Amino acid sequence: MIDYATNAVTDLTPITALGGTVARSESFGALSLSENAGLGLASLSLRKSAEKGQEAPQVFGLPLPGVGKATAMGAYGAFWTGRDQWMIEAQGKGEVDFAAMLKSEAPDCSVTEQTDGFVAFEIASANGAGPLEALMAKLVNLDPKAFGPGQVTRTGLEHMTVFLIRRAEDRLAVIGMRTLAGSLWHALSVAARRLEA
Amino acid sequence: MLIPHPLLGLRDSQEFTYLGDANLMHRPDPAAENAEAAFCEYVFLRDNPAGVHRELWFHEQGDRSWLVVTRDTTTHEILGAELASDVKLGAAQ
Repeated sequence: MIDYATNAVTDLTPITALGGTVARSESFGALSLSENAGLGLASLSLRKSAEKGQEAPQVFGLPLPGVGKATAMGAYGAFWTGRDQWMIEAQGKGEVDFAAMLKSEAPDCSVTEQTDGFVAFEIASANGAGPLEALMAKLVNLDPKAFGPGQVTRTGLEHMTVFLIRRAEDRLAVIGMRTLAGSLWHALSVAARRLEA
Repeated sequence: MLIPHPLLGLRDSQEFTYLGDANLMHRPDPAAENAEAAFCEYVFLRDNPAGVHRELWFHEQGDRSWLVVTRDTTTHEILGAELASDVKLGAAQ
């Protein structure tokens, strides 16, 4: 029973997408998998297509990248998600109103908060591109050789839709639906563990 | 089966969902004289060719674009793909 006299405010404990109080991280041989709980996300789309005269703005000093590309500068990043549409990322801005910050950078565009809809997992390889590309070969039907640093794509991974961002030769980010965080972690960790075996 | 996406290159057809005949893009004018007959045809009647067919595919697990894919229904060979928005804009011009 709640004691209203002493517990005027319920103690709320923030949890990550995987339900922990701290972000999960685990290593499998050369590959390490970590939940990026601090990533702020917001989508940006042009109100009119580029052909009709609206130019893609610069946000946080970032030029918005072309088809299938991702850019990053400091804590901010942007990746292409569709025609005249991008997702903007901000490291360490998962708990602030990042969409409002983006809207003030690009007032003429449609901006939607996405942090609460997605979960981000960062995969790093301690042994170059090899283990990362082996993991991709197990999980997604993409040509790893045509998916170099700075490339981004959305694809299906065990029937879940995910964004894959090749942040560097040895680093890959997987951004998927937040409600499927547990299943996505399972898919990634099982594949990584089997590579290790 | 791979679909040649006009922006993204060859993509696994499992990323797409299929809607049907690309003629669905040509919705009749509801204010026209013969609207009832035109809508009856639009909603219920489809050509079912054995051979080259233009159809709508949605890149659901991708960039969420609609494509008009030209496919041979007898061989499943995909002869081309265009963005449906381009097809629509092209038709309007």
